[in-house]
Amino acid sequence: MIRVIDLFKEFTDKAVLHNISLEIDKGVIFGLLGPNGAGKTTLIKTLCGILKASSGDISIDGESIENAKPSFGYVAQHFGQYEELSVWENILFYAKMYSVKDIKRLKYLMERYGLEAYKSTLAGKLSGGYQRRLALVCALVHNPKVLFLDEPTAGIDPITRKLLWDDFYTLALEGKTLFVTTHYMEEAQRCNQLAFLASGKLLVQGTPEGIKESIEGVELYSVKIDYNPELISAFAKFQGVALVNQFGDQLRLLLTQKLIVDSIEQEIKKYTDERLLKATISLEDVFIYLTQEFAE
Amino acid sequence: MIWAMAQKELLQLRRDKRLLALIGVMPIVLLILFGLALKLEPSNVKMAYFDEDKSFFSMLIETELFNDGYFELYKVTSLNDLQEEIRSGRAKAGVHIHKDFSASLVKNAQPHVDFFVDGTMPSLTTAMKYNSKIMTSENVTSNMYFLDENATNVVIAKTPFLIDTQILFNPDEKETWFFLPGVIGVLIMQVALILTGISVVREREKNTLEQLMVTPISKFSFVIGKLLPYIFIALLDFYFILGVGWSFFELPLPESHLLLFCLALIYVWVMISLGLLISLVSQTQQQAMFIAIFIIVPSILLSGFIFPLEAIPEYVRALSYAIPFTYFVEVMRGLLIKHTLLVDMVSSFMALLLFVIVFVGSSVVLFKKRV
Repeated sequence: MIRVIDLFKEFTDKAVLHNISLEIDKGVIFGLLGPNGAGKTTLIKTLCGILKASSGDISIDGESIENAKPSFGYVAQHFGQYEELSVWENILFYAKMYSVKDIKRLKYLMERYGLEAYKSTLAGKLSGGYQRRLALVCALVHNPKVLFLDEPTAGIDPITRKLLWDDFYTLALEGKTLFVTTHYMEEAQRCNQLAFLASGKLLVQGTPEGIKESIEGVELYSVKIDYNPELISAFAKFQGVALVNQFGDQLRLLLTQKLIVDSIEQEIKKYTDERLLKATISLEDVFIYLTQEFAE
Repeated sequence: MIWAMAQKELLQLRRDKRLLALIGVMPIVLLILFGLALKLEPSNVKMAYFDEDKSFFSMLIETELFNDGYFELYKVTSLNDLQEEIRSGRAKAGVHIHKDFSASLVKNAQPHVDFFVDGTMPSLTTAMKYNSKIMTSENVTSNMYFLDENATNVVIAKTPFLIDTQILFNPDEKETWFFLPGVIGVLIMQVALILTGISVVREREKNTLEQLMVTPISKFSFVIGKLLPYIFIALLDFYFILGVGWSFFELPLPESHLLLFCLALIYVWVMISLGLLISLVSQTQQQAMFIAIFIIVPSILLSGFIFPLEAIPEYVRALSYAIPFTYFVEVMRGLLIKHTLLVDMVSSFMALLLFVIVFVGSSVVLFKKRV
């Protein structure tokens, strides 16, 4: 449904996207992960045609971006609907932009996203959660095949976030392809397919499970211990420790060399009697590990 | 805390290089314009001169006018031509010396010299009337006595001839007739430059432009759709003020309503496209506002709307002709007050059309590049 081949994007002073290639199938929820400034928003904007690619090929549903406009929708990171217009006026405006005349569908969408009660409220007066819902409705008026969502749940409360994700699954079930950027691990876990972007390069792609497995030659150990800056800085100096991550009362260590497990255990004994145990790698570990590895 | 706030404001300003440049450049430009360039005393006022007498005496008047330098004379060959020159705006005044001028003078019959002035601009009219007095100065009249000792003693009147001043086009010198046509232009300039000027920038600042660019709307539809309401408002403004002028200020009706509408349409088009251009070159609403005002102020002062063009020295006059409003004022007064013939306004219409082409053209180029 979305195909990107060798995409490059340069701004006047520097390149921000290098050699991006993607292949996303119909009905997939695709998550684009990456730290701040990795180029996630630039990539999504380039895919939507807001920014022009410097080189490379993008096709959506087999069409060029310009021709594919009626078949995709975009929800920006920042609220981009008209604050001075009411909810219904905004919806109607976007419907007209897409030449949609099916008022029933618009009313259905408004109901589906719980905006019925705010029909004549000015969009600028809505809370953040409802603004997001309105943005979603405006991007869905033309029943697009592809939906681009730039950090759709940033700053959204957990309940609304759950509602939105339930809805994303419904949309995917309807056969829509969703392209979501995020840096919430819990959200990344929900995606069918993930790609990890750092410094404008795609590092890994695959299913969440696949990505976890793709980190080869590393093992994760954890120990129950309270945060101790001394211990952490001690481990950070260890050869073969790729990542030290305190997670509540757990200290997680990503090791690239098995041999050092013993010396680590000895170090830990100085602080606690708890045992160092092997643990499964989480997406967050992968995220931080990759970000560190490829930090330039 | 006040200090911190002020400091923050200055820091923000320092980051906005464009606005900073505008803030720096504007006072300098205005200073040069109005400090050095603008003299409020008009000079070289064009005068059509029709001398049917062509005698020694009429030459005296011509020489004195020439020496004085306030009026810049050029000759015409009929009374009709003389009035047409003023109607077209090529001359602001005219002098007609009748055929029997010297004959009457000799008979001591106090001949009349006709002095015509354009009344559309009352301040200029007053100045011209004042300056016409040199025609009867001693340099002229002292030579009109006959020094022939053998001649019979003729009683010479103290004033050998009289000047008949005729104010054309605005005989009552009504200030409203002079101001109203220009005020309409200023208002349209405001609507067009400020409202249109911030409209695109606003979409960009509020992130709504991004959402729009994803929809299938073409750039053409986007621009036209955005401009149409302002064109409509500007036209509404145009006829509203005219309506008030016609109903309450006895503003004369134009010879041709069609031409008036054409003028309104072209001028609105010029201003709206200039507004769009502003919107495209500015990154923030602040910048757009600043540029708009930067254009409006000199437009008002240099266009001949308040000060006659004659009051603007030659070396700045070129700038006056680079201002669309100048042509609007000219044509508007021509249409409403002087009933100037179309032939004499064609060049102004053409100039306005040229502005449209330039502004629309640069907007299209910029729009393709920026958005």
